[in-house]
Parts: sequence; C-alpha cells; structure tokens
Amino acid sequence: MTTANISSTDILDHVAPDSLKGIPRRQTNPARWNGGSWGAFTDALRSQNIEICEKKQTCRVYAVDSGGLASGLPHGVALARSAEQISAILKQAQLHRVPVTVKGGGLTTEGESVAFGGLQLDMRAMNRVLSVDAKNMTVRAQAGIYWHTLGEVLRRDGLDYLSAPLNMTSSVGGTLSVGGIDINSPRLGCSADQAVSLQVVTPTGEIKECSESENPELFERVLLGYGQFGVITEASMRIRKFTPLTMHYFYYGSLREAMEDLQLLVRGDAADYCGILTVLDKAVNLLVAFDSDERERAFFSGWRGRLRGHGQLGFALRMTWHYALRPWRIGEALYLLGRKRALEPAFKPEHHLEKNKIVDRTVVFSNSVWKFWGGKRMVIPDLATSAEKFVEAIERGNAVCRKYFPRYTLYCVGIKLSGRRERYELSCIPPDAEGFAYGCEFEPILGGEDYSREYLQAFKNEIYDIGVEMKTSYYRFGGMMKGYIRRVFGDELVEKHLAMKRAADPAMILNPDVIF
Amino acid sequence: MRDEGRKVDALIVGTGPAAAACAKRLTDAGYETVALERKELPRRKPCSGILSPRGHRFLIENFGPLPKEILHSPSSACGVKFHFPSMRTVSMEFDGGPTPHLNRKFADHWAMKQSGAEIHDRTEFIGLEDKGTHVEVSTRKEERIVRYRARFVIGADGPGLAVARAVYPDYAARLPWFVVGQKFHRIIDCPLDDKYFHFWFHPELGHYTWSHARDGRQIVGVGFLKGGNFDNRHKRVVEYLERKHHVRLGPAEEPEAVTANFGPSLINRYIFGRGNVLITGQAAGFFNMIAEGMSCALHSGAIAGEAAVEAFRSSKDAQRTYRGMIASEVRRCSDQWNPLQIAFGRPHEADFRGAMKKLTPGERLGILREMFSFIRLYSPLNWGRQILWQSLRRLLTGRYPATRWL
Repeated sequence: MTTANISSTDILDHVAPDSLKGIPRRQTNPARWNGGSWGAFTDALRSQNIEICEKKQTCRVYAVDSGGLASGLPHGVALARSAEQISAILKQAQLHRVPVTVKGGGLTTEGESVAFGGLQLDMRAMNRVLSVDAKNMTVRAQAGIYWHTLGEVLRRDGLDYLSAPLNMTSSVGGTLSVGGIDINSPRLGCSADQAVSLQVVTPTGEIKECSESENPELFERVLLGYGQFGVITEASMRIRKFTPLTMHYFYYGSLREAMEDLQLLVRGDAADYCGILTVLDKAVNLLVAFDSDERERAFFSGWRGRLRGHGQLGFALRMTWHYALRPWRIGEALYLLGRKRALEPAFKPEHHLEKNKIVDRTVVFSNSVWKFWGGKRMVIPDLATSAEKFVEAIERGNAVCRKYFPRYTLYCVGIKLSGRRERYELSCIPPDAEGFAYGCEFEPILGGEDYSREYLQAFKNEIYDIGVEMKTSYYRFGGMMKGYIRRVFGDELVEKHLAMKRAADPAMILNPDVIF
Repeated sequence: MRDEGRKVDALIVGTGPAAAACAKRLTDAGYETVALERKELPRRKPCSGILSPRGHRFLIENFGPLPKEILHSPSSACGVKFHFPSMRTVSMEFDGGPTPHLNRKFADHWAMKQSGAEIHDRTEFIGLEDKGTHVEVSTRKEERIVRYRARFVIGADGPGLAVARAVYPDYAARLPWFVVGQKFHRIIDCPLDDKYFHFWFHPELGHYTWSHARDGRQIVGVGFLKGGNFDNRHKRVVEYLERKHHVRLGPAEEPEAVTANFGPSLINRYIFGRGNVLITGQAAGFFNMIAEGMSCALHSGAIAGEAAVEAFRSSKDAQRTYRGMIASEVRRCSDQWNPLQIAFGRPHEADFRGAMKKLTPGERLGILREMFSFIRLYSPLNWGRQILWQSLRRLLTGRYPATRWL
C-alpha cells in the first residue's frame, strides 16, 4: 500500500470518527474473537474437570439475546456450577486472554449477553434460593435464578421481593448488574438498590463477599456495573411481606397530561405502584395499584380528583367522538379497539384474581406484558431523565416512534433514588436527577414485519440522540450502544471507569464490548 | 492447496463493500464464509470514491476507524456542487459532515479483511446450481475448475452481474446499460473547489458528468448510454470545463471505464435473487442519485447477510426474509430518485432544498427548468411514466411495491 498521497494528519481528521456531525462513531459491531488461544484455554480447564461444550448445536442456542438483532457464536459454553468453578475459568481466561461473556436470562437487546467468540458462561444452572431470613427480611439466592422462581419460593412463606424487572425470566445477577425497573420502582427504587450483599468472582478469579460495609468499592462497582467488574454468583436482597394488590387504570388522550399526572403521583407517594403503558400515543393508560385497602382509599380521597385521566366509559366516548370526526383513521381506531379487547382480559385474569385483587403479579406483569409487547425481535431504546426533562424527552421520543413505525408502545415509570451512590455513575441514573428519575421505553410493535437491523438501528440512534442532546441518561433495560457511552457520560467519567476496569480486568476479558 | 468441492455455510461472490458488509454479518454470527474475487487483491476499482455520511458511519461502526492507507487525497469531501448550463451553481454540504474519499483498491480490501471472512482471490465465478438444500458453485482458478457447496450464495459482484446472469439469464440484456468512464489530468489551473464533488446537469455533456480532485490530479468523468464513444465524450467535457470554468488540465492519463446499471433504483426494478441465491449491492440495482453506490451497497449487503443468518437460525425462507428486510433500503435508495420525495421530502444526505432557498425565486425557477431539460435526456429509456407511477405508489402506501422486484 502507498501512503505517499496522504499529506497531513490534519486532513485525516475530516474523516475521523469525530468528524461526523452529531454523534462520534465507534466500532459498535465488534469483530469476532479469532480463537487463537482457545485450545490451550480449554485444555487447562478440562484438566481441572471443568466441562466446556463446543458442539455447534449447543453454541447456536446462544446465538442471540432477547433483542434478536445481533447474532454471535461462542467457541464454547460453560454452565456455571459454583463460584470456585467460575473463579478457575476467569483465571485461565485472564492467562489465555479468552473473552468470557456472561448470560443469565439473556434479556439484553443490544447483544450484550451474546458472545462473539470466546466462552459463554451460562449462569442459569446456579438457580437456587439458599436461605430466607424472615426475621431480618432478607433472602440469599444464587445469581442465575429467575425472578419468577425467586418469587414462587418466597411466596411459600408469605414473602415477596421488593422490586423486579417486568420480565421475570431475567436472572437476579443480570438485573442487579443493570438496574431493574418496575412499576414499584417509584416507591422502592431499582432492583439493584435492594441488594444487601453479594458474592462476586472478580475478573481475575478472586471470590469476594461485598456489601456496604465489606469491600464497599467492589459492591458499588458491581451493582449497575454491566458485568464489567465481576460475576455476581450469590445475592442477598431485602424482601417484604407478600400482599395481593388492587389495580386501577386511568385513560388519557394526551401523553403530556398522563406524564404530568404520573409525576404528581410519584412525588406524592400516592400509590404503591404506578406507571404508564400506551397504545401508540392515542390510548395512554396510567395504571396505579395498591398493597392495602387503606392506601387505595387514601388515593381515591386525596388524589383521584387531581388526575385528568378518564374512566373507561368516559374515555370510550371521547375516542368515539375523536374518530367520528376523523373517519379516514378508521384503521387506527380498529387497532385500538382490538388491542383493548385483547389486553383487558389478560391484565385481569380470573384465575389470578381473588376478591378482585391480583394474587400473582408476576404472572400478570411478566406474562401479559411480554405476550403483548414482546416478540422474536425486540427493539427497546429508552431514555432516563430528571423530572424536569421527562415530558420533553418523551414527547420527542414519541415523535421518533411515529416516524418509524405504525404501531408502538411507550412504557414510563418513576425510579426512586437511594441518595447519591457511586453505583449510579455511568448508569441509568441521570446525574441531574434529584430524589427521583424517570424512564421511558420506546417499543415498536414489529408484528410479522421483517425490518432490517439497519432500519431498527437508525430508529434507536434517533432515540439515543435525544438523550445526547438533552443530557439525559438511559436506563438501558434495552441496552445502549457502546458508541454512545462517551458522548452521554463524557470522556472524563468514562476514562475513570475504564482505568478501574483495566485495573480489575487486566486482559479485558469479562463481558467485552458492552461498554468499553 | 484448496479442497475441491469445499463445503461452506455461505459463499459471497465479490469483494466490494456489499460483500464485506454481508461477510461481516455472517462471520460475526459464526458462519463459515468464503468470498470469491476474480482478480488478485488488492484490485483496482474505477470509482469516485466519495462515500456518503451514512456509509461513513457504517464503515466505522462495523469495521472500525479508517486507516489512512485507504484514503485518497484530499481525504474527504465536504459536499456537492451542482452546475447548470446557465452557469448557475448550487452548493450543498453533506448533512453528516465531511465524508471519506476512499481509495477503493485498498478500502475494499481492508473492509473485506476486517469482516473476518476467508477470501479466495483470482477465483472467477462460472456458474451455480441451486439444489434446494444447498447451492453448487463452479469457479475457475488458474485454469482449474474449483467447486464449492454452500447453503447460501450471495451475489455481491457489482455491475458484472455474474451471479445475476446465472439466476436470470436474460436479465442483463433487458437493461439499458451506461458506460461511466473517468480520466486523470495533471492540473495546470483548476478553479473548481477541491473540497467538493462537482456534477453537471448539462444535457449536451452526457447523462452523468462529474469532476473532482484526487491525489494532486483532476478527475474528469462522463457517463453515457452504452454505444457512445468514451474518448469523444470525455474530450467534450474537458473542452467545456476549459471554456466555461477556466479549468486548464494536462493531457488525459489512465482512462478507466465501467458499465453501470442505473435503472433499477429509478424504476423500482431491483433483482434480489431466487431460492438460496441472494443478490445484493449494485448487482441488485442499488445506486444513489449522486452516483454513490457504496453506502447502499454496504447497507444492502449487510441486510443480505442478516437475512442469511436469520434463515440459518430459524429455517425461514431466506428470500422472503431478505425481501422483507430490504424494503427499507429500497425506500431509501429509490426515494433519492423520486421527484415527489425530492420536492417535498429530504431524501438526500445534502440539503438541496435548503440550498435552493438561498436563491431568488427567478433563479430557482431557472434551475428547475434546467433540471427538467436535463432529465429529458433520459426520455428514450421510457422511464418517466414508471418513475411517476412508483412515486405515487410510494406516496399512497408508504412503500415501493415489491411485486416489481425480480
């Protein structure tokens, strides 16, 4: 090759990643690891009786995450059995520089739990509840357990977790690593904030217990740490008494009014659970739920009158009038009606109701939400903002959804913050949020359409660009492109965390390409 | 020595941008992929080398930062200047900022190597037979016949259309072909701004006339319907540039010309293959309006790769998946030629409407008249009615009908 025609580095800057207007670009679709030292790595592990499966059929099971867009293939898969086994794996991985990608429920959507070569560590075999302490109201569980399983075990003793993500096939370890948001997050914070202590295998293979009093730095790094600073193998979390709950829906034609009312309820601690689910931006549903009759009564006496939402009948009349004046939008009206007919029974299933109270919220929230909003491919970019920026950010995101897709939904919740924590740095919690943060997922209903990854990526980029422009964060339930991290959080903060990562993981083998 | 009858997951014919993007998707997903190239790599490729901002982003996001070795000088272009017979000029900067001026010889090879696919150069595609469960491919390498057996074959071989001809034997004969040729000149005096790509809407110069700076020389290029005389056409442009723009150039050197298939993207007549054979990139008919084929080649190639990966994973019909996924790229590419989109939308990565707004109403009217007069140059091809009909379908349904694709 010739370089004679390149006159100066100044000229080259015009096509450097930073030259692109808007968002500086980075290689976000990583190259597959070349497998150079794989043989030596597996030999070393097998000599320690650690089983690695290299069958193509098995590896193909791990080709995608829930997003279904990024396809990868590990060289081999190990089922996590114990902290000691994971420790041995990570020690050899450091030695042979083999990337290790950890997977729990695999609920990532940007390929974060997909291995582009190297070892896939499947945590789901570590799925036991180790102890329940009803006196101190804590539970100790292995990190590969699904929330659904954890909930079932706790319920035998009349207990419940505090806050869990909407999809109950998320693993506890994965959720604590990214946040975990639910409609009880306005009261109880994100799932990561309910952790009391953790057992962690560091990237260099040390097994450490950490909490606010023991190895607090590691504790703060691992929670909301996107798997960069260790593999969570066990977690102790706060729990509470199980209560059936009563749910109410209020319907809005205006997204802005619904969001303002959501903020009103969150600020005033008016409901035990609240959130917004929309059908397009036409039928906006503010849902509130209560653990006790007292709280429900207090809501109806003190708060209901201040909400601008309608009951079902009132809203139906308004919508009928709206579409009667716009007969050319009959298709949209029929879609809304069809959606209502499908959703309503699913959200109030008789077999999970007792005296009009929902007795199994995991089934209702998890199954129903994912049945109607999930799909083989899922694209869920999101924005997490301070209270002040919430409405504008979501309205702008809604406009992007409208531009790209005929059918979509928004899911918005408040997130109670647990003071100023180190774990919130470089996380879903926007640095300017005080007391509460607010998040919104923008989820197109893809249906049977085959959208190209490039098209879906363009959609995600436009949502993320809003966050960059408005200096918000992303609660990254839907993941976030690596390319945005620096732009959103700034070089100084990213360099700080990168230095910590390099110190903790010298060969940079644990969950590569997720953030750094 | 390579095995005869080599079994691979996917075989890509071509090593250009579409091939590299397709290979990237397949190799990332762990599928054994071989790319065939007729020539020895790195191979020369006649091309302006000006990539659109969207293509620039794609290269960085998928293959990493661009090494200096794959760039010409000047290493970037900041926009396009349209010139008209009245000597009016419309100047537009690219929306996404300056874009790379790629040295295709090295850029294509770099991207291909970055994709991780195995490259077999000096291997010429001869033919294929789709057996339903796999495709048998014959190639020639150093006078030997070498066979491959692949689950999917992806034709990403540009306007050579070797794979397309194997699938649709009479297709190439049905296309109106253009010749796009360029010659390099030593610069004596050139007032044309070297930061821009220059394009002439001048019916007397040719169907596609351009000029830009490269490595201290000036390229003068002309496109015309096959059958015309390249040297005469080129000479006419050089004389025009000297007469009207005071461009003084040394003698022409290194003439290079290729044939190009402009038509499919204008009239929504793309070809995407049949059965287990997917056709992508320029071979499928993707070509942007400013004659920049690389960005849509990269994106359509990636989509072909995704479709193949999806078909591997889910046993879905690869053609059906590909045709579903490619619709967005068809919209993006054909919108660039769609007069309604140009008039009321923003299909290009440069702000034509914004540039026009800076002119007086009289100047705008004059330019529109000159553009219309230029478009009439294409009237013998009978595309006008088809373009209008497709534009209306796009307006009413939001998409271009897939029924017109082969």
